[in-house]
Amino acid sequence: MIEFRDVEKVYSNGVKALSNASFTIQNGEFVFFVGESGAGKSTIIKLLLKEIEPTSGDIIVGGQSLSDMKRSEIPYYRRGLGVVFQDFRLLSDRNIYDNVAFAMEIVEAPRKEIRRKVPMLLGMVGLSSKAKCYPNELSGGEQQRVALARALVNNPSILIADEPSGNLDPATAEEIMEIIEMANRRGTTVIMATHAKDIVDSMEKRVITLKNGVIVRDEEKGGYFNEA
Amino acid sequence: MKLRTWKSFFKQGFKNAFGNKTMSVASIVAIAAALCVLGVVMLIVLNLNYLMDDLEAKSEVTVFLDKDVSYSDIKAIESKMEKWDGVREVEFVSKSSALAKWREELDDKAYLLDGYDGDKNPLPHSFIIGIEKPEYTEDIASKAKLLPQVMKVNYSKEVAESIGKVVHSVRLVGAAVVIILAIIAAIIIHNTVRLTVYSRRREINIMKYIGATDWYIRWPFIIEGFTIGITGSLIAIAIITPLYQYVLNKLAGQHLAEGFFVNIFRLLPLGDVIYNILFVFILVGVSVGVIGSGMSIRKHLKV
Ligand SMILES: Nc1ncnc2c1ncn2[C@@H]1O[C@H](COP(=O)(O)OP(=O)(O)O)[C@@H](O)[C@H]1O
Ligand SMILES: [Mg+2]
Repeated sequence: MIEFRDVEKVYSNGVKALSNASFTIQNGEFVFFVGESGAGKSTIIKLLLKEIEPTSGDIIVGGQSLSDMKRSEIPYYRRGLGVVFQDFRLLSDRNIYDNVAFAMEIVEAPRKEIRRKVPMLLGMVGLSSKAKCYPNELSGGEQQRVALARALVNNPSILIADEPSGNLDPATAEEIMEIIEMANRRGTTVIMATHAKDIVDSMEKRVITLKNGVIVRDEEKGGYFNEA
Repeated sequence: MKLRTWKSFFKQGFKNAFGNKTMSVASIVAIAAALCVLGVVMLIVLNLNYLMDDLEAKSEVTVFLDKDVSYSDIKAIESKMEKWDGVREVEFVSKSSALAKWREELDDKAYLLDGYDGDKNPLPHSFIIGIEKPEYTEDIASKAKLLPQVMKVNYSKEVAESIGKVVHSVRLVGAAVVIILAIIAAIIIHNTVRLTVYSRRREINIMKYIGATDWYIRWPFIIEGFTIGITGSLIAIAIITPLYQYVLNKLAGQHLAEGFFVNIFRLLPLGDVIYNILFVFILVGVSVGVIGSGMSIRKHLKV
């Protein structure tokens, strides 16, 4: 379970990116965060990753308050989160296979497990034939799928994606959504920030709408509303 | 951590250490240079200590007695001197054995002393006092001078004392130079590893967000510093050891030519110093490398 209690974030330059944000996400839920650029979506994701600290309020994940978490506990907390970044964040000096294997190597997964799971995940995102390619030899959509494979390879209990369909053509975006939905059906909590109206409207999931750092709407089976 | 993980750390560390040629060479040269200076200082100090020990063992005061001293006076003086602090042994040299010694020293010109035996012997009786430590020399000499029936007292204090002073200043100057060089070497290594850290900052950042521990990220960089440090140490050893051997050989040649030198300028054999040098070089090289690289990574782990 993820809980935000009156979370406020003011950046060091004085920008108030989030105010009085309170919401609860149950295990296995699928939640969209929508809003225009600058609304505060990425801020929520960064807070959840403990990349930044809230100015006030509490964030509780799996019963633990993030602000009480010790520095040495952070890596283990993050291992439970699979993250797809907007800019993919792949390692350019490693091929696709190694990029995905890397996520398992750092948690010291058994070698046999790595050899079994990496091809499985690459197959799932439809990139088996490109395992030996380097990131710069792939299209944006393909890189996005590699990032997704890497995020899912350690069986995270929470999958977090920041605009995963950002600059993708509709067909590719749909493929990615299918994979994410598949993970969700297997019990993974999914949190996705996006401003892609089509996707949000077609999925019929919970939608939390942000505007200038304020939660203006929180609806089950919601849609993307353009506030006039 | 698993053996496989360690293997990958070492692979990465070595790759980084020898990846950026210019910076790595600069770091290795800096460490090797610092250690060579340290080696020279160490060898000088070790040898001066050795020489001082040697001189300490040889410290002695010669006490010449009046011509008309009686046998009982001699005994009295001897027992008095034996009780003084710092006296190791007291050896009586009668005037006839002094003459015999002189004859020996004159070798083929010993005939010059013919006719000075017995009552005509011009030499006085004397004592040779063996001293425990050079510090006592002056004290013992002045006490000896005050004794009745003593004609003259000879001793050589300057040599031992000035060597003591030299050792002291060599140590001081050496330590200062070595510390400065070690700091410079650490800074150069720090910068070298920082370049690697900088070129891999994206990777470090990604590692952090997919749950790598600080140590998992840190180790390859520490191994990089360690590799640079130990390479510098080995190069320094490869320079200093033959250099010392060369000096030893050179002096040995001189000893043969000028026999009397042997006693004064005998240097420690390589076997006696090599372990000290190895130990100190590797210790200093590795710690400078590890500290230098440890500092480089600190900032990037704070995410
Ligand atoms: N590191 C930062 N420092 C200062 N201001 C920031 C920083 N990151 C984001 N902001 C500001 O906070 C607001 C919300 O940003 P963000 O959460 O990235 O929005 P979104 O992801 O919805 O586009 C914006 O006004 C943005 O300019
Ligand atoms: Mg954003």
